Amino acid sequence: MKELIQSLDVREVSAQEIVQHHLEEIAQHDPGIHAFITVDQEGALRQADDADRRRAQGQALSPFDGIPIAVKDNISTKGLRTTCGSRMLEDYVPLFDATVISRLRRAGLVLVGKTNLDEFAMGSSTEYSAFGVTHNPHDHSRVPGGSSGGSAAAVAAGEVPWSLGTDTGGSIRQPASFCGVVGLKPTYGWVSRYGVVALAPSLDQVGPMAKRVEDAAALFALIAGNDPRDATSAKAPSFQVPAWDPEVLRDLRVGVPEEFFSAGLDSQVEHAVRGCLRQLEDQGAVLQPLSLATNAYAIDTYLTLVTAEASSCLARYDGVRYGKRVEAEDSNTMFAKSRSAGFGSEVKRRIMLGTYVLSANHYEAYYEQAQKVRTLIKEDVLDALSQVDVIITPTTPTAAFQIGAKRDPLEMYLSDLFTAMANLSGIPALSVPCGLNSHGLPMGIQIMGGNFSEALLFQVGYMIEQGVEGSARHGQL
Amino acid sequence: MIDRHDVMRMARLARLELSEEEIDQYQEDLMRFLRSGQKLQQVDVAEVEGTSHAVHVAHELRPDQVGTSLRQEAVLSLGPRVEQGFFRVPRIVEGQE
Amino acid sequence: MSKVSKGVLGMANYDTVIGLEIHVALLTDSKFLCSCSTAFGAPPNSQCCPVCLGLPGSLPTINEKAVECATKAGLALNCQINLFSKFDRKNYFYPDLPKAYQITQDAYPLCSRGFLDYYVDDQLVRTEITRIHMEEEAGKLIHSGSSIVSSDYSLVDYNRAGIALIEIVTAPDIHHPGQARLFVEQLRLLLSYIGVSDTKMEEGSLRVDANISLKPKDSDLLGTKVEIKNLNSFRALEKALEYEVSRQGEILDQGGTIRQESRTWDDRAGRTMSMRSKGDAPDYRLFPEPDLPPLCLEPAWVESIRASIPELPLERLGRLEEQFGLSRYEATFFVHYPDFCQIFFDLAEYDLSPKAIVNFLMGDYARLARERGHLDARRIAGLLTIVKEGLIGANQEGVVLDALFSSEKSAREIVKEQGLEALRDSTELQGVVDGVLTANPDLVARFRSGESKLLGYFVGQVMRATRGKADPEVVNKLLEEALS
Ligand SMILES: [Mg+2]
Ligand SMILES: [Zn+2]
Repeated sequence: MKELIQSLDVREVSAQEIVQHHLEEIAQHDPGIHAFITVDQEGALRQADDADRRRAQGQALSPFDGIPIAVKDNISTKGLRTTCGSRMLEDYVPLFDATVISRLRRAGLVLVGKTNLDEFAMGSSTEYSAFGVTHNPHDHSRVPGGSSGGSAAAVAAGEVPWSLGTDTGGSIRQPASFCGVVGLKPTYGWVSRYGVVALAPSLDQVGPMAKRVEDAAALFALIAGNDPRDATSAKAPSFQVPAWDPEVLRDLRVGVPEEFFSAGLDSQVEHAVRGCLRQLEDQGAVLQPLSLATNAYAIDTYLTLVTAEASSCLARYDGVRYGKRVEAEDSNTMFAKSRSAGFGSEVKRRIMLGTYVLSANHYEAYYEQAQKVRTLIKEDVLDALSQVDVIITPTTPTAAFQIGAKRDPLEMYLSDLFTAMANLSGIPALSVPCGLNSHGLPMGIQIMGGNFSEALLFQVGYMIEQGVEGSARHGQL
Repeated sequence: MIDRHDVMRMARLARLELSEEEIDQYQEDLMRFLRSGQKLQQVDVAEVEGTSHAVHVAHELRPDQVGTSLRQEAVLSLGPRVEQGFFRVPRIVEGQE
Repeated sequence: MSKVSKGVLGMANYDTVIGLEIHVALLTDSKFLCSCSTAFGAPPNSQCCPVCLGLPGSLPTINEKAVECATKAGLALNCQINLFSKFDRKNYFYPDLPKAYQITQDAYPLCSRGFLDYYVDDQLVRTEITRIHMEEEAGKLIHSGSSIVSSDYSLVDYNRAGIALIEIVTAPDIHHPGQARLFVEQLRLLLSYIGVSDTKMEEGSLRVDANISLKPKDSDLLGTKVEIKNLNSFRALEKALEYEVSRQGEILDQGGTIRQESRTWDDRAGRTMSMRSKGDAPDYRLFPEPDLPPLCLEPAWVESIRASIPELPLERLGRLEEQFGLSRYEATFFVHYPDFCQIFFDLAEYDLSPKAIVNFLMGDYARLARERGHLDARRIAGLLTIVKEGLIGANQEGVVLDALFSSEKSAREIVKEQGLEALRDSTELQGVVDGVLTANPDLVARFRSGESKLLGYFVGQVMRATRGKADPEVVNKLLEEALS
């Protein structure tokens, strides 16, 4: 990215050329990967043209004016179809931009298209999209992870330099890990949710995905900040990209929760993560074993809350104001027919579960109970973070699995085993590639920290990235 | 512990029209989900307040100022069925949940 | 149910128990959760935005003025204002509900435990307010047929969707339909006093749901309650409740049981009708609204709202009676017409008797002011003062009043210009009296022979000759002298 910006700055290359190059990459790779639902070739070239004109007049909107980006298709883009990977919204063209999109446009970024996702972000493999499966660029027979699988795959395949995803239980970090890219789930509230189609509002966050930590940090700086249109938006200052100083590791207290290294963890993933930890230790960090016992409840708590909130958030798709409609004699039948035709089976499953846990006779036992357990999980995490600066774990228990391998929904839900905790407690979590396994598949390491500690997470992530690249070069020699 | 009636009631509440196979499938899914969630029930949460928001944010209220609305044509352009400036819906039958 | 007549036999055996839920649209310029205008009467779907249409990804933000109005209403209704309150989602599908959930307050409302005092047949009674919470309005449905059930389709307008409402919930301690009406009348008056709502029932700004049950007089057990939805006039409220008292009484008399249900009032047919054809009780799946943080108010802010509350109707009634000696009837008039009341207070600052002011304001002035708007209190005071001084006779008062409405001049200027001063100079009037008597020798003779009622005729003639300006007292005296 640095090189790209420099060459733009000295007018060695135009935004037109950069965007054209990426459109060609998409044309070449995407038939095999299917990272995109919509590519806006015409719009992208027009935006690039505008960027070039601004640069020629010395009025570039930001250093990134003219740099292309792809955005997950559950983020509203004015005038550009936003499907959420669902038949329900296959023809839905938003009348407004999400706040994150406005922020990108204000910086002059060129929106080249909308990336594939599990329908309404419900999934961990991008197999549940009404627009087809996305393939992992490292191995087309494998999933890219999900639900931001399209955004991760597009970056990994070099179709765009960076992208935006959304993360409710791991939907940025898990695909980042599977595709070998960097992904951040920010502190809840630091990025506006306005215009981001809700899955579970108390957990959802938009975050950056990029090849390199530096780029992810730069993109995060563009999107983070208070938004008066989102009442849950934090009154935090804007994010400043930190200096990349190895000194950050000196005496850094790194918590290593034993629960994340137990049975079920792939040995190669464990090996890679422990390797990174050793390197951090060598550079001055202090490893501290600790326990996050409540993670045992994270998945069930997460599922209860996410299905409940989703069942309510997805009720608005009733065929009246927008979206799919199947005509019927009376309104209730029209609602039911439209919804049944518009939603895929995983969405219906989660709506059924969510309706159940919220219904009068079960609310207390399930929903309310889960909210209380959430409090315990949050306290557990914050307690751990009062003793250490960061917590480091594998991002996922395994590398990318085969397409079609996980037919059982409950097994699929376990993909979020290591990631859901950060969403439940609100803290930021960064996934950084930590090497390739014996099949050549990427693996990811997760760094979590206290609220608004993104700068530190990026700094630690940067050091890990340097270390991993160093050993890779070493290995090659 | 969850019978087909429960499943059908949830489907009615959620306005989903399910096939026989789907009813069977979701009945099984619901049962398995609840079984796996059993361990949550055992957690002692006496005296614990529920968390509905991840991070505490002070509520900032919006001043009472009229902003711009969407144009009527734009609003209606989204509608699957519109008529004379309105959204049109079929007969409303009262009395379903 | 067959036709039910009023005054069913067995009704005397039951106590009526009524509780009310009143939805009040708050007087804000923009909607509760978005900045669309709340103005009434715009073309359909022209005051909508992503938020109030429930477009994917849109998020609500709370209008400060709505919180202020709701707090003010709570304080005026003697409620406890909860410094910590929360929002919840009430989930149900209906074409007028854009998100398929309503943002409301369930577990932690803004206001709780208040009351309203009001008069029922000269008796001051109190109705407890259980709670007041904030919520959003739904859109508006227009039916193709004459009613919702007889329509093949309906049309939806979301201009109204998202307007700020408060729901005021009373305890079930209202005992008859007339009392329910008086309660709502008093509530409506109070809300208009504090300026939180235009309370226009005809535009739907104030709507009442009524819960009503009957219980045997000797029983402590409450009967099964029936909810009557959307009563949007005082008449509908009272009639619907009267109908239910009869209907439920008759069922109970015949040993039947009341079905717990929602009913609507059919004004044309003059009866309530069941709304629920089948199915279970609604399950709203309420849960905390994740898009809105809890509302935390500062005590100082609440106190500043409290300080802004004006004199309320009941206080004002007491003051008019006690401080100014007005009758209940007169005081009630002024409480119901705050504009007249303000003029009364302004006039009371002058050296005028309350009685004279009241008689004036409730007389011809009331009619004229309603047609043409109020006069300045200063100009009214000028008129009442010259009447009090006797500068003009009672007959001239109306003439001056008319002139006050059609010009900017003061009462004194009008009197002077039109020469309306009362004639009370004896020598001047003596001539007129003599003239009248000279012109009617027959009548004078008849008077002298005992027809004393002819005095009135002579007075009338003198008044006529002076164009009404003669002081009747002086005229009477002169006539009596001349005829004795
Ligand atoms: Mg209500
Ligand atoms: Zn609006």
